[in-house]
Amino acid sequence: MPLVKVNGIAVEVPPGTNMIEAAKKVGVEIPHYCYHPHLSVAGNCRMCLVDVEAGGRGPDIACNMAATEGLAIRTDTPKVTQMRKSVMEFLLVNHPLDCPICDQSGECRLQDYYMEYGQHDSRLADAKMGKGKRQDIGDQIVLDAERCVQCSRCVRFSDEVTGTGELRLFNRSNQTQIGIFPGVRLSHQYQGNLADICPVGALTLKDFRFKKRVWWLKESESVCGGCATGCNILVHHQENEVYRFTPRRNDEVNKSWICDQGRLSYKDVTSLKRLTGAKVDGQRAELPEAANAAALLLKGAKVGVVFGAKATTEANWAAVKLVRARLPNARAYVIEGNDPDAFTYQDEILVDSDKTPNRFGAALTASQLGSVGDAEALKAALASGEVDALLVLHDDVVGRLGVATPKALVYVGTFKNATSSAAAVVLPAAHYIEQPGTWINRQGRVQRLRKTVAPAGDSVADYAAVDAIGRAFGGAVIPEMPAAIFQELAAGVKALNGLTLKGLGHGGQLITLFAPSPGVDQPGQAAPAK
Amino acid sequence: MDVYPRILSRIWGVPGSHTLAVAEQHGAYNAARKALAMSPAEVTDVVLKSGLRGRGGAGFPTGRKWTFVPPPEKRGGKPVYLLCNADESEPGTFKDRFCMWNDPHQLIEGMIIASHALGVRRAYIYLRGEFEYVQRRLDEALAEAYAKGYLGENIFGSGFSFDLYTHLGAGAYICGEETALISSIEGYKGQPRLKPPFPAVKGVWESPTIVNNVETLAAVPWIIENGWEAYKAIGTEQSPGTKLFSCSGHIMKPGVYEIPLGTPMMDLLNKWCGGLRPGRTLKAIIPGGSSVPVMTPAEVAQANMDYESINKVAGSYLGSGGFIVMDDTTDMVDALTNLLRFYAHESCGQCTPCREGSAWMYNILCRLRDGLATEDDLVALRDLADNIHSRTICFFGASAAMPVQSFVTKFRDEFVARVESARAGLPAGLAVAK
Repeated sequence: MPLVKVNGIAVEVPPGTNMIEAAKKVGVEIPHYCYHPHLSVAGNCRMCLVDVEAGGRGPDIACNMAATEGLAIRTDTPKVTQMRKSVMEFLLVNHPLDCPICDQSGECRLQDYYMEYGQHDSRLADAKMGKGKRQDIGDQIVLDAERCVQCSRCVRFSDEVTGTGELRLFNRSNQTQIGIFPGVRLSHQYQGNLADICPVGALTLKDFRFKKRVWWLKESESVCGGCATGCNILVHHQENEVYRFTPRRNDEVNKSWICDQGRLSYKDVTSLKRLTGAKVDGQRAELPEAANAAALLLKGAKVGVVFGAKATTEANWAAVKLVRARLPNARAYVIEGNDPDAFTYQDEILVDSDKTPNRFGAALTASQLGSVGDAEALKAALASGEVDALLVLHDDVVGRLGVATPKALVYVGTFKNATSSAAAVVLPAAHYIEQPGTWINRQGRVQRLRKTVAPAGDSVADYAAVDAIGRAFGGAVIPEMPAAIFQELAAGVKALNGLTLKGLGHGGQLITLFAPSPGVDQPGQAAPAK
Repeated sequence: MDVYPRILSRIWGVPGSHTLAVAEQHGAYNAARKALAMSPAEVTDVVLKSGLRGRGGAGFPTGRKWTFVPPPEKRGGKPVYLLCNADESEPGTFKDRFCMWNDPHQLIEGMIIASHALGVRRAYIYLRGEFEYVQRRLDEALAEAYAKGYLGENIFGSGFSFDLYTHLGAGAYICGEETALISSIEGYKGQPRLKPPFPAVKGVWESPTIVNNVETLAAVPWIIENGWEAYKAIGTEQSPGTKLFSCSGHIMKPGVYEIPLGTPMMDLLNKWCGGLRPGRTLKAIIPGGSSVPVMTPAEVAQANMDYESINKVAGSYLGSGGFIVMDDTTDMVDALTNLLRFYAHESCGQCTPCREGSAWMYNILCRLRDGLATEDDLVALRDLADNIHSRTICFFGASAAMPVQSFVTKFRDEFVARVESARAGLPAGLAVAK
């Protein structure tokens, strides 16, 4: 691997690594607008100009400079400082400076870099170029061409990621203007990313416009639960209210992207479909009361436990523990398929046809109980009376099976659905961004959820809801702390052996998948990484 | 005037010089026959040794450029393309048009020879959008050459097959930049691309590509026919051969002249161009097309028309040979404003400094010209030029910056006088009495 130097600090990087990334490795930030790690190099903003000490001719742009042995650049020379300042002056000359009404304000590279590298007084004595403002170019996006710095990130995104190619930089010279082809409208599922990658306020998300000043928002890490892909996200929230989801970079899962469906799913957190209180026979109840009712229903019954592909692995583990401790004769089921209200869109970019975030987690834990039944097995068992009581985690079993379920049905879930309506006892589970836990995505990557805001109403973490039933039976089935639950889980499930919650890090850990098919606890084929 | 062979303009002025019949009477395609009997390496070697340099402006040795094409085993099965750059758009430059208009077969022959040397099967002549009438003449010449079997399959029975096409651009100055030309011919917006990769490795349709200027390719047949020694004997050691100069401005005989490189600049002005208008004195000369730094009379007196001398004497460039003469009637502020109008309009709009800076400089110059600018504007003008130069993807930024840098340095008094008259409240153009 070539050894390069950034400001005199040596670093080894893979051949071909560009110098922005190489500098990042030694903690040197090279400012840039047009460069994006997941798009082709355009080299037009000229903000990343650096001095070349050895191994090339300079000044040159770091984004298009491939690491070769002996290459040495400097970003701390007066020349570089001057170059950055002059690029800032050029970029701002036709910028409307409407920061007070711009949603990008606070996360805008023009603002950030002006404070860091510009700090010049305007020398412009001529009129600024006027360009088209607030153009409605898509379902999710509003375009303000005046704010644009012509970095072409959005053009490259629409050419290279979605392949739809709606956007272009039209005209030339200082008349250059970002725009959409006549008669075309953005209609793909990845529009929100355009607002994310736009380094300035030219492309803004309709949903977020004029809603919140970003500097009030706190960002917490989580994972999107919309499908089996498990895109990494940041939850932006203030005072327990969620304002938006944005993608969190994970090169192995979602790169820097997320679909619009997932992005806008933050609205589910405050959805009227949320289950915010426990219910017994349709009547509001306190959680312990409902847990007692659940215990009474399940005690001595012929119980079927439906493990949840939308529940955390911890909740499924709690169910395993509950069965082992209190319901030794219970049968385990994992019902394939999606809930009837799941969105149907899917593509080759990110969106999986499987709309459950933790199918592997459910299968892995369920298989700890021996044989695991599927939908047909459950239908047959219900029909024959071999199962006369159900404990269901998250999945809309009634909706999926389309058959009548026993009256003795305990449902632990976040949203109202056919199963919650049919259930005798409902225990409200927190939304996945309101609780800690882990999911295992379609690649077999164990990813970590965190509690980003407080659970709505009386809802509690899904594993805590299961544990409440255990307590009603006479004692907790799992530890209280998430790390301790995961420790037990990792020790108990062979595929997870050796993992720790902390060790999952920000990007998750890929496991060798044990076949998720019911009842088999032996090494299987790892799912193909998509 | 010394006696020297006319290489490029050999048959210009002969009635019907653009037709194959007349051209052949003057020896057209003899060099191609000779070259096709040689090995490609031998042809390249002759061009390399002749010291021929690119006539588009940069003056890069042509033979060396040809050697940059990767060997067949490193091309990944891709063909090699030859593109002739006929997007002659530099203000003050019009020699390629004369070449193609008066002797199209010379260019075609040059391209056959170059393609043989480079292993090219298909080549294109990329013309600027305004050269539609030149394209028609070229197409007629191509048809004649095809009819005689000088193009197409198995040329002169040598086994070498070669097709040549013309392609008309949409009329953008930037398409004369080789990577922008490549983008344009591929059907994209004519905008320069990042280097590396260089066109010789990855050019048009991601294949190895050589882009040569019209005049460069037109010189090749003579070199093959007469040998590299004969070519090298003309001109100077580092700038061999002859070059076409497009002479315009305040001279008695504007036109295109072919002279040996190294000819004193004053000789070009007085002997070929017929000198200045009677009673006028020289104020400035732009020696190589509008983008190169302007020269003062003192510099002109010392300089020769070759790549090295102009650079050494005046820090300017021979460029494309657009020789623009300005006498004492020229208002340098006006002249520069006019130049910048062109650059502000033609910037492709990709890189920040050039996109924003060229128009900004033009705006400042307009105010300066109109008596509305201050000292601060003059400082800003010079700063902006410095901040554009060499900080862009292609050379356009420098092309827009160099006239500004040289005009405001070498003719500073005129710019300062404009600011002073503005401060004194005088109408535009009136100077403060000293």
